[in-house]
Amino acid sequence: MELLKVENLSFSYPKQEKDTAPAGKVIEDLSFSVESGEFIVICGASGCGKTTLLRLLKRELSPHGIKTGEILFGGKRQEELTDREAACQIGFVLQNPENQIVTDKVWHELAFGLENMGMTSSEIRRKVAEMACYFGIDDWFRHKTSDLSGGQKQLVNLASVMAMDPKLLILDEPTSQLDPIAASTFINTLYKLNRELGLTIILTEHRLEEVFPIADRVLIMDKGRKLCMAEPREAGGLLRRQAPDHRMLQGFPSAMRIYQGLDPEEEVCPVTVREGRDFVERKYDNRIRSLNRPEAENDGKIAMRMKDICFRYEKNGDDILQNVHLTVRHGEMVSLLGGNGAGKSTLLQVIAGILHPYRGKIEVFGKRIERFRDSELYVRGLAFLPQNPQSVFLKMTVLEDYEEIRPVMGYSKEEFDRKVREIAAFLEIEDLLQRHPYDLSGGEQQKAAIGKILLREPRFLLLDEPTKGIDAWTKKRFGELLQKLKARGIGILMVTHDVEFAAAYSNRCGLFFDHEVLAMETPETFFCSNNYYTTAANRIARRQYDGVLLVEDVIELCRQNGSRQVRE
Amino acid sequence: MGNKNSENSFVRQEEYEPAHIMSYSRKRTVRWGIALVGAAVLVLLGVKLWADRKYHLISFLIALLSCFLFYFSYEKREGSIRRIVLIAVMTVMAIVGRLLFMPVPAIKPVGAIVILTGIYMGPEAGFLVGSLTAVISGMTFGQGPWVAFQMVAWGLNGFIAGLPGLRFLLRKRIPLILYGIWAGIQYSLVMDIWTLFSLDGTFAFGRYLAVLGTVVPYMLAYAAANVVFLLLMVKPLGEKLQRIQIKHGIF
Amino acid sequence: MRGFQGYHPAILFLYYALLLLLSLLTMQPVLLLCSLFGAFLLYAALFGIREMLPDLVFYALLFVLLAVINPLVVHDGETVLFFLNGKAITKEAIAYGGAGSLVMITVVVWSACYTELLTTDKILFLFGKALPKLGLILSMTFRFIPLFQKQADRIGQVQRTMGLYNGKNLKQRFGGAYRTFDSLLTWSMENSIDTADAMKARGYGLRGRSSFSVFRFRLRDGKMLALMLLLSGIVLIGAGKGNMDFYFYPHLAEIETGAEAFVYYLAMLLLCCIPGFCEWKESLSWNYLKSKI
Repeated sequence: MELLKVENLSFSYPKQEKDTAPAGKVIEDLSFSVESGEFIVICGASGCGKTTLLRLLKRELSPHGIKTGEILFGGKRQEELTDREAACQIGFVLQNPENQIVTDKVWHELAFGLENMGMTSSEIRRKVAEMACYFGIDDWFRHKTSDLSGGQKQLVNLASVMAMDPKLLILDEPTSQLDPIAASTFINTLYKLNRELGLTIILTEHRLEEVFPIADRVLIMDKGRKLCMAEPREAGGLLRRQAPDHRMLQGFPSAMRIYQGLDPEEEVCPVTVREGRDFVERKYDNRIRSLNRPEAENDGKIAMRMKDICFRYEKNGDDILQNVHLTVRHGEMVSLLGGNGAGKSTLLQVIAGILHPYRGKIEVFGKRIERFRDSELYVRGLAFLPQNPQSVFLKMTVLEDYEEIRPVMGYSKEEFDRKVREIAAFLEIEDLLQRHPYDLSGGEQQKAAIGKILLREPRFLLLDEPTKGIDAWTKKRFGELLQKLKARGIGILMVTHDVEFAAAYSNRCGLFFDHEVLAMETPETFFCSNNYYTTAANRIARRQYDGVLLVEDVIELCRQNGSRQVRE
Repeated sequence: MGNKNSENSFVRQEEYEPAHIMSYSRKRTVRWGIALVGAAVLVLLGVKLWADRKYHLISFLIALLSCFLFYFSYEKREGSIRRIVLIAVMTVMAIVGRLLFMPVPAIKPVGAIVILTGIYMGPEAGFLVGSLTAVISGMTFGQGPWVAFQMVAWGLNGFIAGLPGLRFLLRKRIPLILYGIWAGIQYSLVMDIWTLFSLDGTFAFGRYLAVLGTVVPYMLAYAAANVVFLLLMVKPLGEKLQRIQIKHGIF
Repeated sequence: MRGFQGYHPAILFLYYALLLLLSLLTMQPVLLLCSLFGAFLLYAALFGIREMLPDLVFYALLFVLLAVINPLVVHDGETVLFFLNGKAITKEAIAYGGAGSLVMITVVVWSACYTELLTTDKILFLFGKALPKLGLILSMTFRFIPLFQKQADRIGQVQRTMGLYNGKNLKQRFGGAYRTFDSLLTWSMENSIDTADAMKARGYGLRGRSSFSVFRFRLRDGKMLALMLLLSGIVLIGAGKGNMDFYFYPHLAEIETGAEAFVYYLAMLLLCCIPGFCEWKESLSWNYLKSKI
């Protein structure tokens, strides 16, 4: 049965005086239909109109603007649905888990939608209990919503929408703010809902590695148009034929990227790691087992050195950091990986001089951190990019915001203008300078925040989860940017969950576990000795080749080896 | 020039629905008439029952009753979701603001936020933010009968600032400063009724003045804080509200 | 959760209102002392006796201070004790000041206990039934406070690492606090739109909203209500008969000591001791049960 049908949908935002963004059509002539019980993934680079599309599908959230075309839900035109149908039968989960929570207790949050529907207390009690059990929330049913982790919050959001028993569930990048483990749990829950209850799901997502294998069909969008809509296996091929260099390809699962990079003539496109491994092992030889890369020795000057650092928040609390040793040199990037809430962010805050260790010694540029006075450390010294770039901004435009730094650095007006121009050109954010920081996309906000930090001409950079919520293409650009900064002799210490990113761009990787930094090695040694905590490309090719971490490496090795000769 | 324009457009949006505002201000008058009569009846009742002795109890009951009358009347009003969320946001800003300015003695932004909410979002919102701030602060700093007075004191600060005659006048500098000072004094006057009555069941004008004398420094601090924060915030807050109005439609 | 806290929020609230009313209504020393005793009993049960001792000292000092102020300002009363700067210091004025400060301390202690007893979800329940919109605003406020505080911390940290307002003087401190405040304001307003959307998406604004809570009115709540009404009824009858009247000027009234008055005192004492007793009993029986585990 056809549940949702979109016919020739076009949409454009009303032109606004102050807005410098081009007011073209955000969605152009889009048609597709969704069968009941399907799992649809919509993907496209940020700014391709997928969020607008999702919002148009939910009447209450439709943005203001000019809309043409039809949206039919269950055979009815969207405008003809009753308020109750529109509200209850289409569930919507937004991107940021934090902002969607309305009430202060978990149970109340679960009941919120049911209250709106006007159910009686006994009905709500039953329903809420059922939801809590199904989603495994029963243990923290009476907790405060503010005490939950990001993953738990998003699960509560999902459960409270599901309590209303919708026919269609729409999710707008629900896992972009979650760590990989929480994201996996969330996606698995969606899969379960789809398979066990036959719930129709429409999802947008950056992490295609996990959702592609479970999607029935994917809709690939570009600049408000439909590029193609097909089964995941075929979609890659279709897209490649239509737009071979499309930036979307960057975000595809590793197996698909390897397949596309090698461009074999026949064969079915692999989607999962297992299929990818089969494909590589069956098709390609492994006479050459590894790429010969010269080991780059870094004997640059030390940017930061810490010894025996111990830290705890409260006198009688537990140690968060215990005898931590770490050195970062100029011109290198060090990544710290590790579980959620392990204290990685605390470590960065200690290095940034925000928190003070009770034991141990930290030297930045060879000077003990306590010796820096007032703002001395932060002027042409150390810079810190927080997890949430929004906490950097204050003013109505990015440029006005940059102006804050001028007195700190003592720049003259001309000097400042020149610096801003330089940095804007370097980051390619010239056209963002006049926009409001909160109007920028996640990746753009990240860049604008970096701009503000680079204005202080730092020599040592601390990054806290810089790739959270950024699409694959932007991530790649960001990685290249970090390489350039490294080349300028800046030392970088990054805390991240993003295995692929750390593998691609760092010089050394370490694992933060049990209050200390373990195993500080080159990415090759680090990831290849991990079985689970490693990149998808490595998992695909680890039996076949040595020391490969990236899709590009696998493709290169497969090319060098050539096709396996049929032996039988 | 740009600024002037933006201010105008903010004003204009309010005036788009004159019919709506008319009917609603008449209803409002009736409601407040009822509240006033209720309070008067209560005073008379109190006078008779306790033979002019229990001012503190009566004033406490009046304070509480007026707040609740107000809340009940607010329930009847159509309020968009965004307005409701914004009222919660402003209340929390007042509370968190109080905590944020801990390191700075005596200067707290609560009064100013309440007043600005009144100016930009109307008398009801002003009263709600003011009175709720008092209730919720009470939960952290200790609840007690004085909270009822604080509710009225802050609530009135916001309510008066939002009255139709005043709210546009108050966007100008001088009236705003004057109102800030007045609001500080008013807050102090109302709050000191509690201090006085709690000490003393009987009311004597001379004694009231004596107590007032000791609170003058506080009164000055309230007024000064109001003026400082009002001047600092009146423009940025207006801009921020206007921005989300433009970006997401009228709330 | 058992003990007095485990009763239905409406019971807790009614009790609080009754106690405040009775405490504010009377200045009869015996009744006041009953109320004060009940308040401290509960206070000790909730926070522990060791926690209470320093507070007890504080309240004693407060009592003395307030009792001293009144006779310095008020010179009514027949029994002059001595003259200070030519003004009469009277026994009645001292007694009045003492009684007044007892009222105040009683109210403060009851309120402190109730900050602990009447948690946010209970307050929400009470408001939510009668005032759904206000209840929702309150609920959001409770949700936002920790959220905003966390964000304020983040902004403050980032601002320091950007080299802004690191100085220690007053101007720098004010500037830093204001910048954080301003940034928080932008952040909160921008993100409030998301919250509003999430509410709309879940059907807020549909007609006929109901209100759900995890609290249920049980039999024991009914029993407690009956007990409360009975005891306070007795006290109020006493008040109606004039047993609770007490005057200080021109000379102190006699404290009633008849058998009938004793019944009223006992009723007041029992009424005031209910919560403290429930809490103590609960913790004792819990300790007993725990010893069996």
